[in-house]
Amino acid sequence: MQKFFSNKKLIILMIIIIVTFGLLAVSVNVRNKKETPPFVQQVGNDVVSVVGGVFAYPVNAVKNTSSEFSDLYNTYQENRRLKSKIGDLAQNQAKLKVVQDENKKLKQELKLNSTLTDYDTTNASVLSRSPSSWQNYLTINRGSTSGLKKNMPVMSGKGLIGRIIEVDKVSSKVELVSTDNEINDKFAAEILGDKDTNVTGVVSRYDDSTGDIVMENVNSVKGIKKGQKVITSGLGGRTPRGLYIGKVHGLKKDNYGMTNSVYITPAAELRNFTVVTVIKSTVSGEK
Amino acid sequence: MPFKTRKIIGQVIFILLAFYLDGLIKWSFLNNMNIENLTVEPQLMLMVLVLLTFRIDSRRAILTYGIVFGLIYDSYYFGIIGLYTILLPLILVGIDHYKYLFAKSSVGYEMSVYFLALTTLQAGVFLLEKLFRLASADVDDFITFILGPTLLWNIVVFFILYVPFADLSDWLVKYRRGTK
Repeated sequence: MQKFFSNKKLIILMIIIIVTFGLLAVSVNVRNKKETPPFVQQVGNDVVSVVGGVFAYPVNAVKNTSSEFSDLYNTYQENRRLKSKIGDLAQNQAKLKVVQDENKKLKQELKLNSTLTDYDTTNASVLSRSPSSWQNYLTINRGSTSGLKKNMPVMSGKGLIGRIIEVDKVSSKVELVSTDNEINDKFAAEILGDKDTNVTGVVSRYDDSTGDIVMENVNSVKGIKKGQKVITSGLGGRTPRGLYIGKVHGLKKDNYGMTNSVYITPAAELRNFTVVTVIKSTVSGEK
Repeated sequence: MPFKTRKIIGQVIFILLAFYLDGLIKWSFLNNMNIENLTVEPQLMLMVLVLLTFRIDSRRAILTYGIVFGLIYDSYYFGIIGLYTILLPLILVGIDHYKYLFAKSSVGYEMSVYFLALTTLQAGVFLLEKLFRLASADVDDFITFILGPTLLWNIVVFFILYVPFADLSDWLVKYRRGTK
């Protein structure tokens, strides 16, 4: 025993192993359970992200310009398609305004202050992306001072891209829906059916090979058709109802033929954006 | 300001630049590389630290750089502390320990050492993440779809950037070498 402890290198190795597991265990627990990381870590992350903004803004400008050039290629086709939709859009906007007003009045009648579909938004710029394979995180330039909280959903132009996983004072980390680790959070979702028969389930993982989001724990597969829209159901805490996720791509049974998974083509591109919108639900749910 | 302090500030800015470039390269160019399961992780900061380790004589300075930048990397990119914070200083001290074997540093030696450091770091991060259920891939998938493409991309980048980065590292450390 005395010989064992006289070996300096062995003791150093033992201490390194203990420190590694200790640090990892504590920080994983803090990330999963606490609303915000320790104060020192918050300040450190904020300083790094503020300086990082100096590098991120020119890169984002170049990225925007390059995507504008690529958009130019299909402008003619897109213009023709969009023109045909403008007529419908004006009609829908007028209808939406009437329905929203009516909805507001009815809520007042019922004394409903806010429902699952009510939310505010905050825009933020993307500063960088984690170079890790499993932690698909984006760093954005808004934090708790802008009213952001852990688990708030985040959208890009077309649809849901992920949720906030860490909030610092002036920056936050967004976990993309493409994150495929075993303990990432899930979204409660529903498929909009033809009638009132909405199918609910949980968007729980991402299929790397197809680029689809997978919805599991589906209550029924009856009436699910390709192309149906999938939205958040608002049943999972801080996510309001009605955020667009994507369209149904197909159905697949698991290896034992027991459970069904619905494959969803995400509406949002997970790479070609520089600005995101954080959704703040006005109904406080479970935390 | 003393000359030595200016050199140290230069080294810190050089490493910080590589640190930011890792995130920005992933965000701007390598996002599109995540096709058919292939993932590439840019590791410019490791390259800069390896090049500096070959040139800096003080082990204390190397260890400090490893711990400080490992901690910032973990906190900013991963949100979990203990991956780069531990692995980076260990790798750098390992390189410092065995660098006397290379009497004269050359691109071949430095590339092989960088290759080994990159493999060790990637494998270490994978094992630790797997242990804490933060990674979902199997060992086979990790080697084929992540480690392979990452090594290939980073070695190509090493060849392209070796001359300017090695010259800059020489210039940033020269003063210390002269005093030895």
